[in-house]
Amino acid sequence: MPALSRDIVIAGIGETKVGRLTGMSSVEIQALAVLAALDDAGVALRDLDGLINLDPYATPNSMFSSTLAEYLGLKPRFLSTVDVGGTVTGMTMIQQAAWAIEAGHCDLCVCVYGEDTLSGRAAGVQGLHMHNLLGGEEWEEPFGLQGMVIPYALLTQRYFDLYDANRDDLAAVAVTTREHALRNDNAQMKKPITVEDYYAARPISTPLGLLDCSLVSDGGGAVLLASRERARSLGARVVPVRSMAMQFTHNTVALMPDIPDLGMAPAGQRAFEDAGIGPKDIDFAALHDAFTISVLVTLDALGFSRPGEAGAMVRGGATKLGGSLPLNTHGGLLSQAHVGGMLHITEAVRQLRGEAGKRQVEGARHAIVSGNGGVFSICGVMILEAA
Amino acid sequence: METDLKAILPQPTAATRPFWEACDREELLLAHCEECGNDFYYPRLACPHCGNRRLGWRKSTGRGRVFSFSHVQMSFHGPAWETQLPYTVILVELEEGPRMLSRLIGDGRANVKSGDPVEVVFPEIDGQKLPYFRPSRSTA
Repeated sequence: MPALSRDIVIAGIGETKVGRLTGMSSVEIQALAVLAALDDAGVALRDLDGLINLDPYATPNSMFSSTLAEYLGLKPRFLSTVDVGGTVTGMTMIQQAAWAIEAGHCDLCVCVYGEDTLSGRAAGVQGLHMHNLLGGEEWEEPFGLQGMVIPYALLTQRYFDLYDANRDDLAAVAVTTREHALRNDNAQMKKPITVEDYYAARPISTPLGLLDCSLVSDGGGAVLLASRERARSLGARVVPVRSMAMQFTHNTVALMPDIPDLGMAPAGQRAFEDAGIGPKDIDFAALHDAFTISVLVTLDALGFSRPGEAGAMVRGGATKLGGSLPLNTHGGLLSQAHVGGMLHITEAVRQLRGEAGKRQVEGARHAIVSGNGGVFSICGVMILEAA
Repeated sequence: METDLKAILPQPTAATRPFWEACDREELLLAHCEECGNDFYYPRLACPHCGNRRLGWRKSTGRGRVFSFSHVQMSFHGPAWETQLPYTVILVELEEGPRMLSRLIGDGRANVKSGDPVEVVFPEIDGQKLPYFRPSRSTA
């Protein structure tokens, strides 16, 4: 059983302001997120000897871990840049940090991502115009496909056809996460929305409209890993990672398996097995929500709902604060900010430390974080536990 | 049928050029593994089922069914593409099994439903014929 070491814990989290951070570069944003995580854990910058990051998507950079290490004045013994996709990147960074610490390559390892995706993109660009995103240009671009929305629209239409679902189900996800974002001072979206607003929003690519799509954001998030012993000596409030599992199936949407065969279910199954708990034990869910449909597919795949019934679950209020499975209490990618899912992880840690303030899930013991890169191309699931 | 279709043309590799050249002859080719017998899309240097590199080509009937579709209502290609809107992107399940991404054009496009039969057509865009689909006239 590939369990993560019980001796390695999350010892600190950092989050920058999100939204439009005019005039800030990606390395500056990542540096601020790292410093915030070090402050949170009570670690001096000079003691940080491990660093893992993801380089910016909108303006790709080579050797970005070196860029960041130099900017911070660090001399790490271990560094790496990881790009798996979606929140799976954040989980993979955490997994690799745990291994690096356990194997003795470093004692304190920070995992960070952030960029100026919103203010740094070229004028006139719609959505996130990423370069070489799915690697399948030759089999996508000649057919009018560009960016992530159209692949997700195709996935959504399939979900509708397979399960007789409809846009009411998507609307419930958008409205729920927006309600949660209003309880988060560090959220890009500040106004409530109704189901009527959802239907009135600009059409994008059927069946998706504007409020089905995540935000484009500037911002950064960081997580610091340390041995339990080291974290204790720092006086840090720790959160252990119980398990992490991933499953790849495809890259381009042309090769996407049908919904029941996506990688989320096997990844979830392994994460639950390795953690020794099941869906009923989860108190809080941070599910990758690049699009509203992502939440429905993931709830079904992880066994929180029967296949096709996630929409009814969300419409019934189960995923609201106070419900049986509060979802994305920070507002998620749809209503807080899209920082590659790093803020899903920091929110899970905050909930398990009991520090989520006016959006705290009472008595939260177990949190699940899901991620997917591409169009459920790579799926990942991580389970965290309160100390 | 639509006129003034826009597309970003493929940049073939040596291995994929036969596929696009066949499109210019109005043939849809599937890669075929001589070892395990599977047809696959998109063409690659090795069979994604068994890894074998002894590959050939099989001509597809060009008939299939819509697996999913989306009517694209905003331009992701700047103002020049406003004239294309709405256009329809589909996932087609070919009769031979493999699925491909394509564009649906022609009469009946706006009312397409998943499961509808479609057939390949080869409109020429900027000198390259591309394998698009249209609703089938007779049910397959």
